[in-house]
Amino acid sequence: MTNTLIALAINGLVWGLIIALIALGLSVIFGLLDIINLAHGDFFMIGTVIAWTVLTSTGSFWPAFALAPLAGFVLGAIIQRIVLQPIRNAAALSIVATFGLSMILQEVVRMTFGPTPRRILPPIHGTIDLFGIQYQVYRLFAAGVSLLALAAFFLFLHRTKLGTWMRAVRHDREIATAMGIPAQRVYMLTFGLGFALAALGGVVASPITTVDFRAGVDVLPFCFMAVIIGGLGNLPGTAAAAVLLAFLEGILSSFASPTEARIASLVLMSAVLLLRPQGLFKGLAK
Amino acid sequence: MKRAAIERTMLIASAAFLLTVPWLVPAIADRFWVSVIAEILIWSLLAASVNLLFGYVGLLSFGQALFFGFGMYGVAIGVEKLALGFWPALGLGIAAPVAMAIVAGIFAVRLTWHYFAIITVVFSLIFYFLALTMKPLTGGDDGISFTLPAVFKFGGAEWGFASATFQYFFILATVALCLYALRRLLGSPLGKAFMAIRDNDVRASLIGLNVYWLRLTAFVIAGFLAGLSGALFAFFGRYASASYMFYHVSGEAVVWAIVGGAGTLFGPLVGTGLFILIREVVSTHWQHHALIVGAVAILIVIFAPRGMVGLWRDFMGRWSGGEK
Repeated sequence: MTNTLIALAINGLVWGLIIALIALGLSVIFGLLDIINLAHGDFFMIGTVIAWTVLTSTGSFWPAFALAPLAGFVLGAIIQRIVLQPIRNAAALSIVATFGLSMILQEVVRMTFGPTPRRILPPIHGTIDLFGIQYQVYRLFAAGVSLLALAAFFLFLHRTKLGTWMRAVRHDREIATAMGIPAQRVYMLTFGLGFALAALGGVVASPITTVDFRAGVDVLPFCFMAVIIGGLGNLPGTAAAAVLLAFLEGILSSFASPTEARIASLVLMSAVLLLRPQGLFKGLAK
Repeated sequence: MKRAAIERTMLIASAAFLLTVPWLVPAIADRFWVSVIAEILIWSLLAASVNLLFGYVGLLSFGQALFFGFGMYGVAIGVEKLALGFWPALGLGIAAPVAMAIVAGIFAVRLTWHYFAIITVVFSLIFYFLALTMKPLTGGDDGISFTLPAVFKFGGAEWGFASATFQYFFILATVALCLYALRRLLGSPLGKAFMAIRDNDVRASLIGLNVYWLRLTAFVIAGFLAGLSGALFAFFGRYASASYMFYHVSGEAVVWAIVGGAGTLFGPLVGTGLFILIREVVSTHWQHHALIVGAVAILIVIFAPRGMVGLWRDFMGRWSGGEK
């Protein structure tokens, strides 16, 4: 019993770090572009599919770590320019547009990759002894990569010119534009980064979950929960909430079904929305 | 011809078409299209419920599938588990979503905009997952199938949904009645109060409107429309399933309403019709119809942000030279 509990708790932590990566992308897009991105789960799914394609065509898993974020960034920037820029000031329309985008992405993957889910074997084999249980090394590696990517993203946001531009545009678009910041390019950059983060999350998660054109549908609500519980647009809060939620669901699922664990976190989320709409981690907001 | 006259002619022509569908359609095409048109009419009520909230009160709900699902289950559980007749089952299929809308609305309408959109999804997801776990009652993903009860009985004669023509007219009459009631509602002081909240909720509260109660009222009416849509769909398909409570169904209804034209009476019907027709026409030739649905949604949002009815009005406005 304790062994399963430990395994589920660690699984929750690992999964939470991956979700934090994806939810961070969602949160950045929401905070800066004011878009509720319903295609975000599919950006994750695209990442898993790229991982599978790279593995089957080159025989190696590792190039996907560079290729998927890159492809995601370019695709995201193009999507922002073509689809979302024309409807910039209409948030309701952007929900419809991203819903349409989600349908297109899923259908394109179903056409090319096929409707059958596939599995990827972890590129790092073996298990290690962790608190008395045998734990897959790849999962620890996945957690490490996610943590590294999170750190890199926050460094980018706070230590580089582009990151400062992003924060400035989010803070006040008019003044940022008046100061000579190219807001339009910052929007493209932001959406591209959001896509890249989700795609990277997809690569990291692909040996843990299945590669399936509907994978995004399950991930999306979970990412939204993290964004809400962390506080809309509060980036460190989002990451913290993702880890907390996955950890809680992991522990809950040791004595309830996964569906019941999901219901519990949804109820928690409603309570947060109603009682603390600014999120649980207001102190982390900057 | 004046614009009003053109629109009246179109309305009469569509009404005449809808009234003769069961005879006209089999004469020119496959009988199958009669049930497609019936399906469009049913789903348009779900789109209308999104439209009432978003187009007239300014609340974007992403959880109307919750009430649709309650309508479906009200009917299916009523017929299959409680052995009710048609009318009591229909009543249960309306009462259950309305009760749910009151409970959900008490909490949901305290929030606005993004928060409202998200809490409505969350509520619908909670009950979607509950329905999946409560297999003995709901049948989970497989759902419940049931046999149809008769609608009317006079001695030995029966009328029911087993007759496609009766089914079609029952649906048409219900939808027409709802649209007429909506039209009356929107012209009434209550409807004007809704629109005042949509345009500026602070001003609305300053002139003495109780914004919370008005939003709750609209939420419950929208729950009623979505529930009725689900109840009709249950009778139409003779089954109910948890999969209809998933957020994708709500999302499609939002797309239909906005693409058709939010804030217009016939917009939801037009949008629903467009998408279901695309699905039915394309899917017989090409299995990837979702590609076209997604592309149409994006194109309309970019090039006709006020929807198809808005596009039509702009066109008429330019054509008749600004003449009202």
